[in-house]
Amino acid sequence: MKKSGMLWALLLTIAVIFAGCDGNNAAAPDTAKSNDPQKAEDSKPVASGVSTGSKEAPALAKLVEEGKLPKLEERMPAAGDIMVEQVAEEIGQYGGDWTMAWTGPGDKWAVGQPTEEALFRFNADGTGVEPNVAKSYEVNKDSTVFTIHLREGMKWSDGVPFTADDVLFYWEHMLTKETFGKKIYDAYYSVDPVTGERALAEVKKVDDYTFTVTHKYPSVQFLERVAIDNKWFFAPAHFHKTILPEFVGEAKTAEIAKEWGYEDAKAFLVDTGYYYWLHPQIPTLRAWVASTDPNSDQFVMQRNPYYWKTDPEGHQLPYLDRIVVTKVQDPSQILLGTLAGNYNLATYGAKDFTILKENEKKGDFRVLPWTQPSWTSAGIQLNQTTKDPKLRQLFQDTRFREALSIGVDRNEITEIVTNGIADPVQASVPEGVFGYQEGWAQKWAEFDPDRANQLLDEIGLKRGKDGFRTFPDGSDLTLTDIESSTNADSFLELLKKYFEDMGLKFNVKVVESGAFTDMKYANEVPINTEAISVANVAFRPDTLVPLRVITPWFGHYGLYTESGGKEGVKPEGDVAKILDLWSQLKASSSKDEINRIANEIYKVHMDNQWVIGYAGPTPTLVVASNQMRNVPEKAVWADEFRSLGHGHPAQFYLKQ
Amino acid sequence: MLQYILKRILLAIPVVILISFIVFYIIQLPPGDYVSTYAAQMAAAGDNMTAEEMDEMRENLGLSGPVYEQYAVWIKKIVLHGDFGFSFSYNKPVLDVVKQYMGLTLVVSFVTLFFHYIVAIPIGIYTAVKQYSAGDYFFSGISFIGMATPNFLLAIILMFFSYKWFGDPLLGLFSPEYVNAPWSMDKVVDLAKHLIIPVIVIGIAHTADLIRVMRGQMLDELNKPNIVTARAKGVSNLKILFKYPTRAALNPIVSTLGWSLSSIFTGSTITAIVLNLPIQGPVMYNALLGQDMYLAGSWLLFMALLTVLGTLISDILLAWLDPKIRTEFRGN
Repeated sequence: MKKSGMLWALLLTIAVIFAGCDGNNAAAPDTAKSNDPQKAEDSKPVASGVSTGSKEAPALAKLVEEGKLPKLEERMPAAGDIMVEQVAEEIGQYGGDWTMAWTGPGDKWAVGQPTEEALFRFNADGTGVEPNVAKSYEVNKDSTVFTIHLREGMKWSDGVPFTADDVLFYWEHMLTKETFGKKIYDAYYSVDPVTGERALAEVKKVDDYTFTVTHKYPSVQFLERVAIDNKWFFAPAHFHKTILPEFVGEAKTAEIAKEWGYEDAKAFLVDTGYYYWLHPQIPTLRAWVASTDPNSDQFVMQRNPYYWKTDPEGHQLPYLDRIVVTKVQDPSQILLGTLAGNYNLATYGAKDFTILKENEKKGDFRVLPWTQPSWTSAGIQLNQTTKDPKLRQLFQDTRFREALSIGVDRNEITEIVTNGIADPVQASVPEGVFGYQEGWAQKWAEFDPDRANQLLDEIGLKRGKDGFRTFPDGSDLTLTDIESSTNADSFLELLKKYFEDMGLKFNVKVVESGAFTDMKYANEVPINTEAISVANVAFRPDTLVPLRVITPWFGHYGLYTESGGKEGVKPEGDVAKILDLWSQLKASSSKDEINRIANEIYKVHMDNQWVIGYAGPTPTLVVASNQMRNVPEKAVWADEFRSLGHGHPAQFYLKQ
Repeated sequence: MLQYILKRILLAIPVVILISFIVFYIIQLPPGDYVSTYAAQMAAAGDNMTAEEMDEMRENLGLSGPVYEQYAVWIKKIVLHGDFGFSFSYNKPVLDVVKQYMGLTLVVSFVTLFFHYIVAIPIGIYTAVKQYSAGDYFFSGISFIGMATPNFLLAIILMFFSYKWFGDPLLGLFSPEYVNAPWSMDKVVDLAKHLIIPVIVIGIAHTADLIRVMRGQMLDELNKPNIVTARAKGVSNLKILFKYPTRAALNPIVSTLGWSLSSIFTGSTITAIVLNLPIQGPVMYNALLGQDMYLAGSWLLFMALLTVLGTLISDILLAWLDPKIRTEFRGN
């Protein structure tokens, strides 16, 4: 304890804590239940006592005093345009570091998501979006013209004003020119309800703080789609003008790329245009900005002095001074570091639940389970377009999928694989998430080996002398599951036992993740355990509608759509129906209709159960040290909501 | 002697070229390439790439040509510009990546090397001189355990006790506050503290090995006629010990010194991953795993070079140490 106290003290570089190790522990229990407003009231004097009434961090106040930084009012947007961020528990105190770990710059989203500032972000329950970087918006009646207002006086992290020109610049010189390796996002296309023709939107500047996005056809979900597809619909024009080939010439860009250490200009533009938050040189709108080389053993993000949000009492956010990210060789070291108190806010999967709970007291942290919109935590997807025609026919047979589902005892799976955390249910949309269907969780969920065998007999899969079933023509039948990791081992072992009890040969093949991706694109993955996790199919169709080669269950149906019918397998039956529903959804002009159609898509999935689940979803565990406050206790963990970013990290703070 | 060295160096060139090609070829063998690994990594973070984007990336990185073509480009750059290529995953030239980790790797390696010679040689001598004594059995027992225990397991055990007793598993080489700090006395102390576990863990297997070798050699030497003669002439025991058998027993140790050259520059790998040490081993391991082939290729080439060089150094050292071998050279 003494040791970790020392570490903390140095870490925070705040002398107060030197004497306060015991004080921290004593303070922990009573803040744990401080959700009531009464408590928040109480803590006010404490907060203002520490920050001596100042509305900015002490370090910044000092810089202002020294004349190195403009005054707070000059750094923030105009009074009425400041964004007020609600605090989850109470008004915080300035200071301290958010210590976390990553496996290196490849793990860019680990810091990318929580620090992200989108033009529009999802609201707390995830049902819609709210303005974030944008101040407000207006939409015309038929959802074709979106007028978006920005915050007057808002600035980039280097103090340069952020205006509509930055949006226009991004649109004209980066996105539509595809400088950073991404195609123009789907969100910017509207669809003709009659012909299905796609039309690109027009973006126009109205004044310095207003711009419009005009679609040819109604685009009801434009803001939600932008919040997912293109969270940052803006870029610092003054920076990109100094590196884009359009402005400085190809040769100069290549030269700058070399200076930055990049081999070719293309990779350089992708990194600076898309993964910009890792580079100290690039101004951002985030609460913390990079300050060291991400390749070093410790990556540090410093507070942005120009951040444009305050807490309800007008203190400029963020509360935390820095994000300090340590590089680890192996993800298990993150867990070890958390137990030792080295990392004060990290997230884990449900498999670490027991060890985290056991050490909750000793490690002085709390475990907050955030729900996931995941369909299952132990399930398989059957590739409907798998290469072998006999296997494909089998996978497309509903009776076969039912047999695989009811031939497995879900109670045992949940007890062994998820420590009893998950419910023994079918892969289905969990309650409370859009697309929930009455009775879906119970569909084919009852363990009934007799009926499973009967179904398999019915299909004509006869048992041979060795007890294993063969195809009706007597040829060998083997189900092969391809995995890119060994994470699902315990589940697959059980599954193999149940499948073999039914007379089905089942093999698991683990390949390296790069090879797995190649196999997926080559349609060589018949079965995989990837879980479906999506907040709303209407916002993000990737996993449920075969538009691209991504998700194992639809295999090369996705390639067919992606290539416009040139390659892949032509969707038929219910898969074609899903695609049909999707094009209706894209062209529809009202929210109600969109919800209705999206619900239809879920129903088709319920009917077919291409994804078979043997255990319900498990939560994502957010583990925060007891000093780290304002982390929401309950929230939805979804990529669409930017994971931990959904908890608004700018208002997290360390209680001293 | 000089002629001999020159001949050896000339012979090494075709060996290194051959190794470099084999290495490059083998890295290419497994299915998938850097782009597919990258795509998998991005997909895990919800950032999906289309097949088209992947092809474009391959084109940009020069991964679409056949192996020999990529090899030719790579070698040409090395020979003409001293440019070892570009690490995709670090987005940096290979040499910069190597440089970034070299300092700490050498620190860990040399401290470890120092540790195991300092410990092993005296113990080896002691166990031979006091053969079958209680001390001999004790150290022999320990060294067998040391040889038989996998390093990383020992690392995990020590980390566990460190966590249990001190509340900190002592991962890495620095406490968080010193990682990016400029060098200072405190930082050195912090480093020394963090070095204890890695040095013991990485050093122990070698140490055990060396104790056995040293003991065996000494036992052989101790009953040689020259020793008996010296003893008969009344030379003091200690003087005999260091002048004759110890010197002879050092032979196999010196001849293997050169081999450890490549391991000095890479440091250990699995142990380093377990202990989260920022040294070359894990960098190379991840490069191989992620098919970051120029980084991996350069490393393997470098190691091949060091092995060849190390063997040469060993030969020279032996000649210097052992008069018998020196005579053989002259005979050449």
